[in-house]
Amino acid sequence: MKYMIILSGSQQHYDSMAGKDNDLPTWSPEELDAMFAFMNELNAELESRGELVDGQGLAEPALTRRVELRDGETVVTDGPYAESKEVLAGYWLVDVDGIDRATEIAAHVLTCPGPEGATEPPIDIRPVQEAAPDEA
Amino acid sequence: MQDGALEDLLRELAPQVLGALVRRYGHFDTAEDAVQEAMLAAAEQWPREGRPADPRAWLITVAARRLTDLLRSERARREREDRVSSWTLPSDRLPPETASADADDTLVLLFMCCHPALTPSSQVALALRAIGGLATNEIARAFMVPEATMAQRISRAKGQIKASNLPFRLPPETDRTDRLQAVLKMLYLIFNEAYVATTAPSLHRAELATEAIRLTRLAHRLLPEEDEVAGLLALMLLTDARRPARMSGDGALIPLAKQDRSLWDTDKISEGVELIETVLARPPVGPYQLQAAIAAVHDEAGSAEETDWPQIVALYELLVRTDPSPVVRLNHAVAVAMVTGPAAGLALLEPLAADRQLARGHRLHAVRAHLLEMAGDKDAAGQEYEEAARLSTSPPERHYLKTRAAGLRV
Repeated sequence: MKYMIILSGSQQHYDSMAGKDNDLPTWSPEELDAMFAFMNELNAELESRGELVDGQGLAEPALTRRVELRDGETVVTDGPYAESKEVLAGYWLVDVDGIDRATEIAAHVLTCPGPEGATEPPIDIRPVQEAAPDEA
Repeated sequence: MQDGALEDLLRELAPQVLGALVRRYGHFDTAEDAVQEAMLAAAEQWPREGRPADPRAWLITVAARRLTDLLRSERARREREDRVSSWTLPSDRLPPETASADADDTLVLLFMCCHPALTPSSQVALALRAIGGLATNEIARAFMVPEATMAQRISRAKGQIKASNLPFRLPPETDRTDRLQAVLKMLYLIFNEAYVATTAPSLHRAELATEAIRLTRLAHRLLPEEDEVAGLLALMLLTDARRPARMSGDGALIPLAKQDRSLWDTDKISEGVELIETVLARPPVGPYQLQAAIAAVHDEAGSAEETDWPQIVALYELLVRTDPSPVVRLNHAVAVAMVTGPAAGLALLEPLAADRQLARGHRLHAVRAHLLEMAGDKDAAGQEYEEAARLSTSPPERHYLKTRAAGLRV
């Protein structure tokens, strides 16, 4: 069964990782390296178990372009989010035996090293739509 | 030889060749790679140079040679030693395998792929490759994962089998029942995968159903005395017989009651019915046989109205005893409603509302809506259809449920 494991983050999270000063604890280069090492190790583990379908980290929310219809007109907005708005930051698409295994992976992600006092936004697990049809 | 015929022949021979190799030399994991390579060589050479007189022997020889090479390079890699000349395989001195040894080998492979150390998805992947003779990219396509992912899953499964040091023989008599259950479940998973509706329907899914039937047919031939194997084969045939009628041209699911029964595959139905009738005559009757029997009653009805519901109720009552899962009880309630009336069915649904998983899904509400509609309670039925539509995760299904709700308001 496939699940998407979803990481969220705000522009503030991205900024604190880039070393910019804001309300959140700033990441040092060593802390960033530790985080990347942790993620690489996790990806390698998922890959070696034959569970990884895809995984991507998304660029900062400020680079978002929103396209919508307003009164029949196409309106394009760059960087539509507030600084503190938590949006999709990255995901893993995994094919595992059930939600328990997906939960185990998500719980492991939460143990990722980071700066003192940093709070991780919650991780969501969304099953990929695969509904068995009703049949008598 | 035509491509299809060649492919069929190769896939039929694959487990026999693998079995022969593992029986002689061990090294299940490496032998499996060697067999795949021998099959590739055959697919390439036979159409050009003609089919050898004894295809099986040809494949065993080529695979054994390839296995020697692989073991040599593995060994060299591992030990950096040059003493590989001791690896001479006495393949030319062995007596020819008998047909019964082939049968045993394939059976051992089937049990091996369902090793308890493997996760269900690994068992399925390994069985499709080792016994089904499918290539990794075909399996990956059917399960809609990248080929690298499937390759890793298979190689990890093989590594786990290797690490378990399982001898190449049938499991001991004491474990047989449990291990057979695992084999049946694995086969059922392959079949079920073909019937899972996804947002990205794939033609390759239908091939999975065909493959599951082929493998179960093989298991049935090897274990003719095991009635649950026959039951599972019958269940697959009787379900798959309805496949041509299950979907409309625009991809919407058509419920059983609304299907055009003239599209059903009568060959599969008669084969399934014959199988199930034979085994039902000798108790005990297991859950796969009961599900097949229920499917047979549906398949034998000329129209939805002619369905023999009292018989279905009786079968569900037996099934609830061995498998009291919420889904079985839900279906039992529907059958009871068809015989005794909606009130009796609704009463059976009451205790199911306490089931957490069922309560979160749309099914319980959809069934309740249906029974309330039968009872003539349009308002309550409409609300339940709406609730079911809200909880459904499948767009075609949601559309269907919304339409039913709207129909009650006019």
